[in-house]
Amino acid sequence: MESVDPSIRCPRLGSDVPFYYCRKCGENGLPCFKVFDCWWEIFDVVAYLRDELSPVDFERLKGTKPKEKVLSLLEIIEKAKKNASEPPAQ
Amino acid sequence: MALRKIVLSEDEMPRQWYNILADIKMNPPLGPDGNPVSPDALAPVFPMNLIEQEVSSERWITIPEPVMEVYRIWRPSPLVRAINLEKALDTPARIYFKNEGVSPPGSHKPNTAVPQAYYNKVFGIKRITTETGAGQWGSALSFACSQFGLECKVFMVRISFDQKPYRKTMMGVWGGKCIPSPSMETKAGRDVLAQYPDTPGSLGIAISEAVEAAVSDTTGQTRYSLGSVLNHVMLHQTVIGLEAKNQLAKVGEYPDIIIGCAGGGSNFAGTAFPFVLDKINGKNIEIFPVEPAACPTLTQGPFVYDHGDNAGYTPLLPMHSLGHNFVPAPFHAGGLRYHGMAPTVSQLVNEGLLEAKAVSQLEAYEAGLIFARSEGHIPAPETTHAIAQVVKEARRAKEEGKEKVILFNWSGHGCLDLGAYEKFLAGELTNPIFTEEEKVKAAEAFKNYPRPANLKSR
Ligand SMILES: Cc1ncc(COP(=O)(O)O)c(C=O)c1O
Repeated sequence: MESVDPSIRCPRLGSDVPFYYCRKCGENGLPCFKVFDCWWEIFDVVAYLRDELSPVDFERLKGTKPKEKVLSLLEIIEKAKKNASEPPAQ
Repeated sequence: MALRKIVLSEDEMPRQWYNILADIKMNPPLGPDGNPVSPDALAPVFPMNLIEQEVSSERWITIPEPVMEVYRIWRPSPLVRAINLEKALDTPARIYFKNEGVSPPGSHKPNTAVPQAYYNKVFGIKRITTETGAGQWGSALSFACSQFGLECKVFMVRISFDQKPYRKTMMGVWGGKCIPSPSMETKAGRDVLAQYPDTPGSLGIAISEAVEAAVSDTTGQTRYSLGSVLNHVMLHQTVIGLEAKNQLAKVGEYPDIIIGCAGGGSNFAGTAFPFVLDKINGKNIEIFPVEPAACPTLTQGPFVYDHGDNAGYTPLLPMHSLGHNFVPAPFHAGGLRYHGMAPTVSQLVNEGLLEAKAVSQLEAYEAGLIFARSEGHIPAPETTHAIAQVVKEARRAKEEGKEKVILFNWSGHGCLDLGAYEKFLAGELTNPIFTEEEKVKAAEAFKNYPRPANLKSR
């Protein structure tokens, strides 16, 4: 019983990911918003994250509703414009 | 002799895409100031001709001839009567699938990649950037750009890049440049790498990099491209459903049930929207977008797997992953949560014109095998979700003794996803049945994040 970190198929990426990826790839280092949908088949991810996260973060994750694509794009564009106007650090 | 493939000649191809925005009411997205977002705000990343399509409410939009010419490389795609699948399921249903796996990159994605490349080209753009997960979209855009002499730069999420080297090669063959993300090419990437050199990346980072690469080109000749979710993508994909409608009409059929897998919603929308129009006008059709299974709530009880096995196709799956005693902790997510789904699809679900369905990973792979062993073609893992729902509906038709006509979209082949099948065949997906001891161990292991041990360092 060596392997305790199974990987499953990420429906957003289309390739296999271990849990540690899903645990951190969401916004601000939170788990991915789909983490419950994907991992409940493998282990009790709800109980696990309820223990692991602060109550505030857990509630935030539970209630995560990503912005509409167009709105999130606009935010990314604004950030990219700012990044592009900064000279690359050497 | 039963007819298997229903083919259209090239001159029977649809000449226009169907725009559902003509027939449904959508609230425009509101910006931070509470006002509707102006389409112009997207101009740094999309050419104006595509932005016009994004907000157009014209019902029919003509497919430009140069796009038709490239479509003809693989379109019209065959509509296939899945006779062997019907036999395997012993169903009275007649099952038809639209084979979108016949495109050069192997999925439906080029239906929009090609027009997007074309509209960028006529707008004077020289270079397109995008992000990709496992590479289906990056491959499709690379192919499309090669057809119109555009450069293509694809930021591929690192964890997938390391797992799917052939996708990078495929993009390279078409002249696309595939870069693992985060990369040193953008400030967004450099910032992440400085903090987490071993990061597996994420879609969020890859999008930021692709957008930055587009807006930072001061010549204005670079734009960004998105493979799903947006209205213009749904529009371009309707070529699937429009062809299917003509093909079914040729054999005097009309679907009772329409099924497509739904990630961002594009292949589903492309197949279903031309029929949604009929449903709005009174036709009686059931239309199901299918997602990977959502976490069940306690009220629903644990997920119940159906391993009905009529033809001996399911010996690999003696039980579902958690054994029969597993009950997840109570959790109410409110059913299917259409995160990241096309707004038009969500809207139609809200209006009750579509009914979302969920299938589990194991059900999906099982259905993929049933399909491959009956119809031959190996479906992409996304596609297997649609097939799992088809299997359920075919069995329901049998129970009800009804000769239903089922249409589904076979969105792509899985010949570059064999790793996933290998795991499934080896039983690895079927036995993550954690003992109590293993659960404790797993919890310990997960605590040690970050632990990117299975990533190749480069
Ligand atoms: C073969 C295949 N089918 C379906 C999808 C899901 O995307 P969408 O929902 O936009 O059709 C993908 C996405 O990569 C895919 O590659």
